[in-house]
Amino acid sequence: MSKKSFRWVGFAALGVFLLMLPHLISEYRLNLAITMMIYSLFALSYNILFGQGGLLSFGHAAYFGIGAYANMLLLKHLSVSLPLSILAGGLMGGLLGLVFGVFVVRMRGVSFALLTLAFNQLIYVTAEKWRTVTGGEDGLAAFRPSLHLWGWEIDLFETINWYYFVLLIVVICILACWYFTHTPLGRLNFCMRENEERTRFIGYNTYGARLIIYIISGFFAGIAGGLTSSFQDFVTTIFINLDKAAEILMMTFIGGGGTFTGPIVGACALTYINDLLSSWTERWTLVQGLLFILLVLYAPNGLSGLYLSIKNRYMKKQGRS
Amino acid sequence: MDILATFAMQALHGLVYGMLLFLVASGLTLIFGMMGVLNFAHGALYMLGAYFSFTILRLTGQFWLSLIIAPFLVGGIGVFLERFLLRRVHKYGHANELLLTFGFAYIIEELVKWVWGNEPLYVELPKILAGSVNLLGITYPTYRFFIIITSLAVFAILFLIFYKTRAGIIVPAAVSNVEMVNALGINVPLVFMALFGVGSALAGLAGVIGGPYLITNPAMAATIIIDLFVVVVVGGLGSIQGALLASFLIGELQSFGILFIPQIAIALEFLLMAVVLIVKPEGLLGEKA
Repeated sequence: MSKKSFRWVGFAALGVFLLMLPHLISEYRLNLAITMMIYSLFALSYNILFGQGGLLSFGHAAYFGIGAYANMLLLKHLSVSLPLSILAGGLMGGLLGLVFGVFVVRMRGVSFALLTLAFNQLIYVTAEKWRTVTGGEDGLAAFRPSLHLWGWEIDLFETINWYYFVLLIVVICILACWYFTHTPLGRLNFCMRENEERTRFIGYNTYGARLIIYIISGFFAGIAGGLTSSFQDFVTTIFINLDKAAEILMMTFIGGGGTFTGPIVGACALTYINDLLSSWTERWTLVQGLLFILLVLYAPNGLSGLYLSIKNRYMKKQGRS
Repeated sequence: MDILATFAMQALHGLVYGMLLFLVASGLTLIFGMMGVLNFAHGALYMLGAYFSFTILRLTGQFWLSLIIAPFLVGGIGVFLERFLLRRVHKYGHANELLLTFGFAYIIEELVKWVWGNEPLYVELPKILAGSVNLLGITYPTYRFFIIITSLAVFAILFLIFYKTRAGIIVPAAVSNVEMVNALGINVPLVFMALFGVGSALAGLAGVIGGPYLITNPAMAATIIIDLFVVVVVGGLGSIQGALLASFLIGELQSFGILFIPQIAIALEFLLMAVVLIVKPEGLLGEKA
């Protein structure tokens, strides 16, 4: 079997596995799987900047949060259908990406990280203080409406239905992200990471390219935020705080920003570990802290980097014998 | 007269908070501003200073003793962090440093909750600092003047070291060209380790002094850490005078912001940070790169 057809068999198996999943595991686990899927999308949107663009953002929670708030507000006040309000969440994420991106994409390195941090805090403070709209620290609640399709009514409170709904949206978005990395703009993103000056010298408008990429990243983060808020039927300021901004960096880092699937692996791993630790011990942040330090020390390119280096070593050994 | 007194009082409140902020941020100016390490554990080290001081006071009852011992202990932890953890990941870049120090801060915060509990702790001050002073018709706690004086003393010492001594020259030289300074016979890794230790010790000192003022509690690290980065960025990376100016500005901004525009007062400092980064990325008193 050639490598390519092997890959397609793998995809098919994964697809069957994901479709069968609700029948294989308990409802509690299914909820965990939904969280993993949503965070996979969030981490992928982050990795467009971090791994592919070489930009360390410390304020990606702002786009996630604004998507979540937009989704909740639309559901609460205008009773929009769910797919539309989640799309609107994504568009708000993209719009915020445009507003902040105009300033942010000029920066590099530490300045970039700190400016995104400042903007993140501005959005956080706005959500906390603009009580009439956001509900302040109490947050906003709105229930998932049922989905009406060609006369059918699908009850999204049924965990299985909700799982398939999230699966569909996340898979579409992940495929879109994957397609994006193979477009000329997506390739340019890698190019600018490696050598921005040269990219400009060839004749590309790196400022414009970075801005569009920033908007796209904000869009997908907004979708992930919208999905999360509808998953919890609730949004508060913790969607935008610094811990959220750090969490998504950690997920992406743990999986490894160097490969496309790395962030997905990281999001699933960290979600699972957090769930496991919080059921084991009350002091789970302590274990989490230790875990981060060990990972940074011994797997500086994340789990996918670790996997690649082990594979390389194995291949070399085979080559010699 | 009444309005004037309110104004003076508010300005004084802002000054005290600003000076405390400088005391904590001075260490980060060395670590982040000069060495470029994104140290998110700085707030946690400051908190450790406050808790160490609490325990030393409990055991010995000597405030002045804790003012000397606690910074040494915290400085030691900082040296450990630099020597055994940060030094090994420095070559991989900022993201790794950020995550490592974030993890370190998590550990310290959780340990503090474990050892000292979640409740806020109160520190009894020595008699000489406990009362209040009457100055131009305003009665104000002596301890807050003590904060201002200590802060200015730390500023003066740092300023003299970094602008008037040979040792102070080595640091910026080593930052801009490690190999050259190494070749001149100076042990650069040792210099960085010492600088990190001094920066951490300053955080510890600030913790001892800030604990009684802002109340020693497990959230004190998380509440101050962003303010610290705002100070260092607004003042200009590595600029001690800049940090002093920025601390003063942010203290007054918060103090008067709450008086006049309470709705958006806490947003002001982030707005200031964003504007400074966009308009003058090197900071108010920083040197152009």
